Amino acid sequence: MGKFVRRILDGAYLAGGIASALCLITIVCMIVLQIASRNFGFPFRGGPDYAGYAMAAASFFGFAYAFNHGSHIRVSLLLTALGKYKFWGEVWSYGAGTMITTLFAWFACKFTIQSHKFNDISSGLDATPLWIPQISMAVGSVLLAVCFWDNLITLLMTGKPNVRETSMTETGAE
Amino acid sequence: MEQLVAVSIFLGILFLFLGSGVWVGLSLMGVAYIGIELLAGRPAGSAMINTIWGASSSWTLTALPLFVWMGEILFRTRLSQDMFKGLSPWMAYLPGGLVHTNIVGCTVFAAVSGSSAATLTTVGRMSIPELRERGYPEHMVIGTLAGAATLGLMIPPSLTLIVYGVSINESIRELFIAGVIPGLVLASMFMAYVAIYALVSPNYKPTPEAKMPFSQKVKNFAYLIPVILLIVLVIGSMYYGIASATEAAAFGVLGALVLAAFQGSLNISSFSQSLMGAVRTSAMITLILAGAAFLSLAMGYTGLPRALADWIATMQLSRFELLMALLVFYIILGCFLDGISAVVLTMAIVEPMIREAGIDVIWFGIFVTVVIEMAQITPPIGFNLFVLQGMTDHQMNYIAKAALPMFGIMILMVFVLIFFPELATWLPETIRNNPS
Repeated sequence: MGKFVRRILDGAYLAGGIASALCLITIVCMIVLQIASRNFGFPFRGGPDYAGYAMAAASFFGFAYAFNHGSHIRVSLLLTALGKYKFWGEVWSYGAGTMITTLFAWFACKFTIQSHKFNDISSGLDATPLWIPQISMAVGSVLLAVCFWDNLITLLMTGKPNVRETSMTETGAE
Repeated sequence: MEQLVAVSIFLGILFLFLGSGVWVGLSLMGVAYIGIELLAGRPAGSAMINTIWGASSSWTLTALPLFVWMGEILFRTRLSQDMFKGLSPWMAYLPGGLVHTNIVGCTVFAAVSGSSAATLTTVGRMSIPELRERGYPEHMVIGTLAGAATLGLMIPPSLTLIVYGVSINESIRELFIAGVIPGLVLASMFMAYVAIYALVSPNYKPTPEAKMPFSQKVKNFAYLIPVILLIVLVIGSMYYGIASATEAAAFGVLGALVLAAFQGSLNISSFSQSLMGAVRTSAMITLILAGAAFLSLAMGYTGLPRALADWIATMQLSRFELLMALLVFYIILGCFLDGISAVVLTMAIVEPMIREAGIDVIWFGIFVTVVIEMAQITPPIGFNLFVLQGMTDHQMNYIAKAALPMFGIMILMVFVLIFFPELATWLPETIRNNPS
């Protein structure tokens, strides 16, 4: 049972990562289309807006996947200094993270639903009803919150979170 | 007085979250929420979602994941071998010998990569074993690599400059172009240091390179042609106004894919690995950016940035004094935070300050980048130190000590920038005056 749930959850985070990857490919296509439309004079209205939505989707879908891989950064000096009390430090930081991501997910869903109800339209050339691209924010933030609950519960039950602590060399951000 | 208490509570919670190991992006988000709910007494939910959505769905920001992806693709090619082969015959006769391949290699790779860790691993993977084999002093090999890899942040494309430009709403293209000359100057300063050290030190006796006929050297240089073409494509298209930073990034991705395909290192597995790597890194950065955008809004409610800018204005600091204060501030901050977080966290406060003081924001972007670069090679949170530790199995202390002279050179670079601001402002002005 536990293993089954584990596989479903890890699969969901990975699916988010793959969706995010597809969004990156979409961004490249959008930009190429945009350049082509400028040089060959065919109309492609709202290109930058669509690329922007794909950008947002790439971020939101990728949050949980990146988190599950230990890619999100934090200041771990104090946690390391806690020594044998590190567990309680981890409980605090996973707990705080869970609170914040849950809050984020709650409001993201609430406002995406509102934007559907009041039919908010993008002010750009694309005139997209905003709730459509905002679905990525709602889904991605819920996935991130689920990932945090998952890690917090795993931490409390087993003493270790599900996140793989990756070595610093794997994060290429700096 | 009441405001002062509010601001102290706000900053106190911020440092509590950040310091206790809550993830940076989430810390910023949580503090901003508390700030608006409690201190400004407004419902924060809608402001939170509007700001985060606005900051995340931006066309300018698309340059970020694309440049990350480009670096990930190139990282998986044979580029590091090719660069060493192409550069080493030309560096062998300079005083200091092949240590220069570290610096020139980093400079070249920095022009196709936006990150300093990627630059470090790509160049170091090949040069560390080769230089060790030839008996170069270990601390020079490690130190120059740690220092020169920070050029990845300065020479365009640069993730730090994208993040800076997005935070203060300035042209990424101008920031990129502004970084070119200071990057090259810094690289020459590193090289000068190596040459002088090699001439002065009695222990600098590497195995001399075998003589190579000139025709062979030229032939080896051909290994560099693909990467040079890629640099021309990315930086050239931006410089001549053919492409914005985002479009240049798309060109870069396509160019890197073509390069990888020609080398035969492009297959399904390397393609998907590069893509998923890009997803992780850019999701990490955009979470911080989303949190920072929301935090900037909350900071606005507290009135802190305005008050601080006014306070600084009343102190009548000269430009130089203000920059010195900021230099110290960023060096200290860099001891605890990574570069990107340090930039986004402080911009809400620092931007009004520098605009008030009449400091060119494009120039300041380069200044901050150099200072952030220094933080990469100082303990306890120097990213490059961690990466090098993983690559060489040296103690952190040893690596930090080896990198110390580079730190000194970068401080020197800060003063060069302050006294010759044209280094960073001249090129962007030329493109501003001749729009394409």
